[in-house]
Amino acid sequence: MHDPDADDVAKAGQGDRAAAARLIGRHAPKLLTVARRMLGTQTEAEDAVQEVFLRLWTHAARWQPGKAKFETWLYRVMLNQCYDRLRRRPAASLEAAEDVADGAALPDAGLDEGKLGQEIGRALEDLPERQKAAILLCHFRELGNIEAAETMGISVEALESLLARGRRSLRSRLEHLKGFIGDG
Amino acid sequence: MTGENADRIFVDRALRRLPRSAPSARLEAALMAGYDAWNIERKKGAWTAVKAGVRGFSETIWPGTPLWVPASALAAALLVGAGLGAALPVVTAAEQSGFSLEQPGRFTLFASDMAPEEEL
Repeated sequence: MHDPDADDVAKAGQGDRAAAARLIGRHAPKLLTVARRMLGTQTEAEDAVQEVFLRLWTHAARWQPGKAKFETWLYRVMLNQCYDRLRRRPAASLEAAEDVADGAALPDAGLDEGKLGQEIGRALEDLPERQKAAILLCHFRELGNIEAAETMGISVEALESLLARGRRSLRSRLEHLKGFIGDG
Repeated sequence: MTGENADRIFVDRALRRLPRSAPSARLEAALMAGYDAWNIERKKGAWTAVKAGVRGFSETIWPGTPLWVPASALAAALLVGAGLGAALPVVTAAEQSGFSLEQPGRFTLFASDMAPEEEL
């Protein structure tokens, strides 16, 4: 299996700045999107992405192609970063976030695209972290179930269960917006 | 259409409404600065290589966590091991098997609950 990142990782590990820039250009946008949706704030997502890349440079020098796909490792590090940050948050701030995220209180009429995006984002952030991670990996990283399961370090069956529960829960949270989103 | 399939389509539609986060120029500059700083450290020599090795090993066994997490897990395991070792009573080889080099084992044909012949 050819790993499209293997050459650049090896070169970046030897000090090739252009290879590092290519890796950043290729992976930072999706990593940032996933982190943003996992963590809920842009600032914290940017911090997490920076931390992931610092780990990448450290790891790049001893990267062994063929052992594991680079991107799988990269997203696993990203998820662990997000889990760590979510667990470090005080419980009070999570409860406050849940209160804000109660979308049913918002009026449906006159909902513009920006507010709709906010509503969907909040409902997503409210999901349990592993359900959220499964949905984000499959949607934003456009992964198949096998690769997403490998990234999360779980079986395909466990991933499918997380996806099913997460989607059902998200749909019920966004039920009041189905006129704007379109019914499944 | 099954319920699961309908959920998947609905959620895919909803997520398409979310804006994608593009890295700002500031973030990209910070990422490159991080690389440059690492590269300078890398060139500094053996000590850096040892630290990177430890960090790399930590990444291999527990990716994405700070170094103190696997270090604490190892320290906790060592403490539990040392604690158990100190708490359990010391059992010598002789106590354990009933034999030792200094005091060879003795055998008798009589079971312990039978009187020896000369006592009859």
